[in-house]
Amino acid sequence: MKKAFVVAMLFVGMQYIVAQEIPKISVSFSNVAVSEALDEIESKTDYRFYYVKSWLDDIRVTGNFQDMQVSLILDDLFKDTILNFYIADDNKIYLLQNNQIYDALPDDFFGKEEQVADDEPSYDDLQDYGPLFVNSEEDGANRGIQVVKIGKENRNNRRRTFTLTGKVTNSRNGKPIPDLAIIVEGKDIGTSTNANGNYSLQLPIGENIIQTRGLGIQESKTKVILYNDGIYNFQLNESFEVLDEVVVQGNLDRNVETALTGVTLIEVEKIKNIPLVLGERDILKAAITLPGITTAGEGAAGYNVRGGRTDQNLILLDNGVIYNPAHFFGIFSAINPFSTGAAEIYKGNIPAEFGGRLSSVFDITTKDGNTQKFSGEASIGPVTSNIVLETPVVKDKSALLVGGRATYSDWILRTLDDEQLNNSTASFFDIVAKYNHTIDDKNEIKATGYFSQDKFSITSDSIFDYSNRLVSLKWDHKFSEKTTGSLILSNSEYKFGIEFDGESNDDFDLGYKNNETEFKIKMKYLHSPKHKFDFGISSKLYQVNPGDIVPLGADSDVSALTIPEERGLESAAFISDSYEVNDKLLIDLGLRYSFYAALGASQQRIYQDNAPKNSGTLVETQDFDSNEVIETYGGPELRLSARYFLAPDFSVKASLNNAYQYIHTLSNNTTVSPTDTWKLSDINIKPQEAYQASLGLYKNFEGNKYELSLEGYYKKQKNLLDYKVGAQLLLNEAIETEVLQGDGKAYGVEFLLKKNEGKLNGWLGYTYSRSFVKLDSPFNEERVNGGAFFPSNYDKPHDISVVANYKFTRRFSASANFVYQTGRPVTFPIGSFSFNNSEFVFYSDRNKFRIPDYYRLDLSFNMEGNHKIKKFAHSFWSFSIYNVLGRNNPYSVFFVTQDGDIKAYQSSIFSIPVPTITYNFKF
Amino acid sequence: MTKERLKYALILPMALLCLEACIEPFEATFPDFESAIVIEATLTDELERQTVFITRTFEFEEDGPLPESNASVQVVAGSETHTFVATAPGIYVSEQAFSAQPNVTYQLRIGTQDGRTYISREMTLPASTQMDDVTVERMTNDDGVEGVAILVDSFDSTGSSVNYRYEYEETYKIIAPFWRPNDLEKVPPAEQTELCEVRVIPDTRSEETCYATDISNAIIQTSTTNLSEDRVDNFMVRFIPRDNYIISHRYSILIKQFVQSNAAYTFYETLNQFSGNESLFSETQPGFLEGNVFSEQSRDEKVLGYFEVASVSKRRIFFNYDDLFPGEDLPPYTDPCIINAPPLSKPGQPPRCVLSSQVELGLVGYVDANGSPGLGEGPYLIVPNVCGDCSEIGNPEPPEFWIE
Repeated sequence: MKKAFVVAMLFVGMQYIVAQEIPKISVSFSNVAVSEALDEIESKTDYRFYYVKSWLDDIRVTGNFQDMQVSLILDDLFKDTILNFYIADDNKIYLLQNNQIYDALPDDFFGKEEQVADDEPSYDDLQDYGPLFVNSEEDGANRGIQVVKIGKENRNNRRRTFTLTGKVTNSRNGKPIPDLAIIVEGKDIGTSTNANGNYSLQLPIGENIIQTRGLGIQESKTKVILYNDGIYNFQLNESFEVLDEVVVQGNLDRNVETALTGVTLIEVEKIKNIPLVLGERDILKAAITLPGITTAGEGAAGYNVRGGRTDQNLILLDNGVIYNPAHFFGIFSAINPFSTGAAEIYKGNIPAEFGGRLSSVFDITTKDGNTQKFSGEASIGPVTSNIVLETPVVKDKSALLVGGRATYSDWILRTLDDEQLNNSTASFFDIVAKYNHTIDDKNEIKATGYFSQDKFSITSDSIFDYSNRLVSLKWDHKFSEKTTGSLILSNSEYKFGIEFDGESNDDFDLGYKNNETEFKIKMKYLHSPKHKFDFGISSKLYQVNPGDIVPLGADSDVSALTIPEERGLESAAFISDSYEVNDKLLIDLGLRYSFYAALGASQQRIYQDNAPKNSGTLVETQDFDSNEVIETYGGPELRLSARYFLAPDFSVKASLNNAYQYIHTLSNNTTVSPTDTWKLSDINIKPQEAYQASLGLYKNFEGNKYELSLEGYYKKQKNLLDYKVGAQLLLNEAIETEVLQGDGKAYGVEFLLKKNEGKLNGWLGYTYSRSFVKLDSPFNEERVNGGAFFPSNYDKPHDISVVANYKFTRRFSASANFVYQTGRPVTFPIGSFSFNNSEFVFYSDRNKFRIPDYYRLDLSFNMEGNHKIKKFAHSFWSFSIYNVLGRNNPYSVFFVTQDGDIKAYQSSIFSIPVPTITYNFKF
Repeated sequence: MTKERLKYALILPMALLCLEACIEPFEATFPDFESAIVIEATLTDELERQTVFITRTFEFEEDGPLPESNASVQVVAGSETHTFVATAPGIYVSEQAFSAQPNVTYQLRIGTQDGRTYISREMTLPASTQMDDVTVERMTNDDGVEGVAILVDSFDSTGSSVNYRYEYEETYKIIAPFWRPNDLEKVPPAEQTELCEVRVIPDTRSEETCYATDISNAIIQTSTTNLSEDRVDNFMVRFIPRDNYIISHRYSILIKQFVQSNAAYTFYETLNQFSGNESLFSETQPGFLEGNVFSEQSRDEKVLGYFEVASVSKRRIFFNYDDLFPGEDLPPYTDPCIINAPPLSKPGQPPRCVLSSQVELGLVGYVDANGSPGLGEGPYLIVPNVCGDCSEIGNPEPPEFWIE
């Protein structure tokens, strides 16, 4: 924009010079290349032509000119082309494609602009007559889409609309695509192709974003800058051909089209309006408004997907694993929303390339940096601030994105009056950097680095901290039109530490760490229209340091203790075929073989058979050398899904899958705690296993305006980890004596209705689901609830979520978010007893009762900054109220013995409405 | 120790997020009350008549446990059997004094009057360790409260004691701040010269100096598992804030140190954990806490409590308030002791006696005559009875062990 304006200014003063007398020449051409004609003119005059050679290819001219001004000759020569020209004062002639150079501003240029600034922007107003300005700043959603310029700009243009015609063909076979919807984004214009794939549209002059949508065809977006009537032909891909790109682009037909069940895509742009807590837009928080994904309670870290444990989710950021994606115990997620492009959540059939976790994959991708220009986005909220900057490194080829987020809660704590909190600290930050480099059309490299840290100190004598770190590298290579491949390397580390410095002789510094390194190759081979193969191998090395403690200070009597490192190698080979049996039936058959080896050096304790594992039944301790295989586990994993079209916009899908998991969290809490550690499978701890079958119906209405899905699943799990009552898990060498392994079963029905567009949009989700665990054993100490199935800690049968946005105007919108959930199961005492001169409560069956039902309404009001054309930054204000109804939702209940008496308490996190105001801006 | 510290460390700064009380008490009821037997016994290596308590669980609204009466209780010690007899409902004491011996297994056997029998695991006496020292120190605790800490040092050079549990009995001298040699008496109707008359008489009922004893009611434990030697160093068994009146004059504490087995230590620790403060964000998974006594009839019957065999070491210390806070103000008395001068009667039909009713019920103590009674005041200055008579909260006789 700015550039166009400067160019225009430059020429304001030149009109007078240009109007001087101009030489006349005589030339004659007969079907010669334009370049030759121009050479001829150059030889006869002082003019020099400047142009891009490729513009002139294939253009031949004919004409006989006697004693004419060059400008008139050129007018005639170029009349049937899209070329324009501009004669500068120094006898240079610039050729232009499509557009014109104006040497004077339109009469009402400035007047109009002021008026526009106060109002909605409108190309129509501005471009009524005269020059067409194209906004070169792209907004996020449309960045990087293809831009085409159509028609030749005419200096004397008086028309406001032009006709665009063309044909849409299938890029693979060249066949026309009929009945394809062609829609102009943000304008009420649309049409569809006829039986021959032809279309015709009346479009306003200037920039139009043209979207195409059709069943089985990948959605496309093209920016058409229209200068005049013209022709544009679309060549489109079939959507299944580029399955993983579909993921990123959010094909509107995915709901009915893909073969996978239980897939959810969250695009950051779309969650912008969801009401926030404490001003954080949060991709993972948005996820829990969708069916099948829940947390134990608000502020609880960890996600339960379809009745699975919180350790069964593979959370990937650019292919690297994040072990604890939460800040502040789950109030905030540790994923920077501004740097995130989209999150793909697989909760049903997980593609064969992923493995190692039973319940879900959260595949989160960081945006590619802007290779065109420096840009950024920032927000200021009450607790955190966030900034993301993008800059090209080599223009059009590579870019760097850097994002950072930090809290100032420390500062808030210090200003509080409470003496105890005054001494507390609670801080966190996360940073992310991504570099993307397109080497050529065959090779592309992407590298990501991420670090997040939380630190807090509540009592004056302890400091607690945890951090995630990951690095990942991905190299995409195109071997041929049909074969592409990616090489992925990633390393991630999670650790926590506690420093305690008190009055006695027990000051310590405690640490836990796990680290994993993965190498993965995945290939895509488009064998034929009917078969598309994905295959590859992966291998992952785990190194877990389960804990070490060292004395802190000279007076400490704490003896240093290190629980020896655990190592394991998890490898897999996978292949899947997306097989289009016929127009209606698509089968995605995936197979994965996973293999795990627990590696030494290690000491493994062997216990008596048919006896509970405890120090009394220990038989021997076996020693294993470094890299010696201790125990192996593994097996085939099936990832089968199929889609059948009952009608073009109505499909039925089914899937069957199973998985193994070799790493488990150790936690004796009902919800996730940052002192939970991860443990690898070994001789005593078997891998967890899950089997899931799902079936769903999917229907889109009114050209994908509405999406409806109904999906049911049944899941069986084996060897889920649980713990004896009062288990001591940290710094315990013989952890297997505290661990129980049992069965799980879960089933549910998920209903989701989405409205994708219009003034009112959003979704309504309802889930009925159950989740049970069974811990049985011949030995009382290894049995819970008499060995019967009991509801898991996260069994919440009814779950309703409504997210609605209403756009009043382009600038103002309001959103609401309503959640209702059955209260989660709790273990409630069933009596008191007297012991040791005190009263205590006693608990019996686990999870027999429930806390009261949970419900919450959040509202937010959003205001976009005005769309002034010359404005430096685009701003966005959000005012939201979390828990408008002030519902005091209990998070947990507990019983405390104080001075010998029992007192019952309930806790809640946000018991009153929490208002928040956040300012975001983009530039 | 590590775990307790951790728990403490995880209590979060919720003032930031919780704009209003996040943790609030509520009226609980047990939706599914279950009556179960509760066994509590700690056999020690001290020669004494050993005690076993047998009670039953009770509902939240009830005041205390129901004793289990008419049970037969035996402890089988190797080839010997000790029989216990009930001395009070639910309290069973061995017929003969005996002490737990090393290398002998002890098993508790109980038969209840409804015909059920219970049996414990076989327990043995852990190592025995004497406390090296009990000290008292003026200090400020982790919560920033000033007060007096009772600290224990203990060391086992063999390294075999490791798990320690403490109980204490504290005894303190109480001096009633408003004790006077005179008392008030309601004048009998026959001798009354005016309605509701009260007169001053020599005090024969109030006590100026008393002694009270409290027993610990918390689970106090420490472990040296993670330490390089089996040394308990300055472990705080008791902390008394300086505004607690019990340290006003002279104070004595008897510390009992029990050496526990690993299993017993874990039982007490878990019990304590279930009843301690919770971190808002992570709640320990509660469940039935299995002890070491089981029903012989049903695998599924819940039996609560623990039969422990422990070595014990006892130590008593005394200190005066002046030793730690020389010349400083005493802590406030247990009652604010507001001086009052109620009228003899309040007008009405018939008039209502005020002071004489309070005197008759023993609610007040005499301080002095009210020299210049104000409007609506009576002739005598009085305080709540406890301010002039400590026998309300203590015993006037010093205990046998008391040394001035």
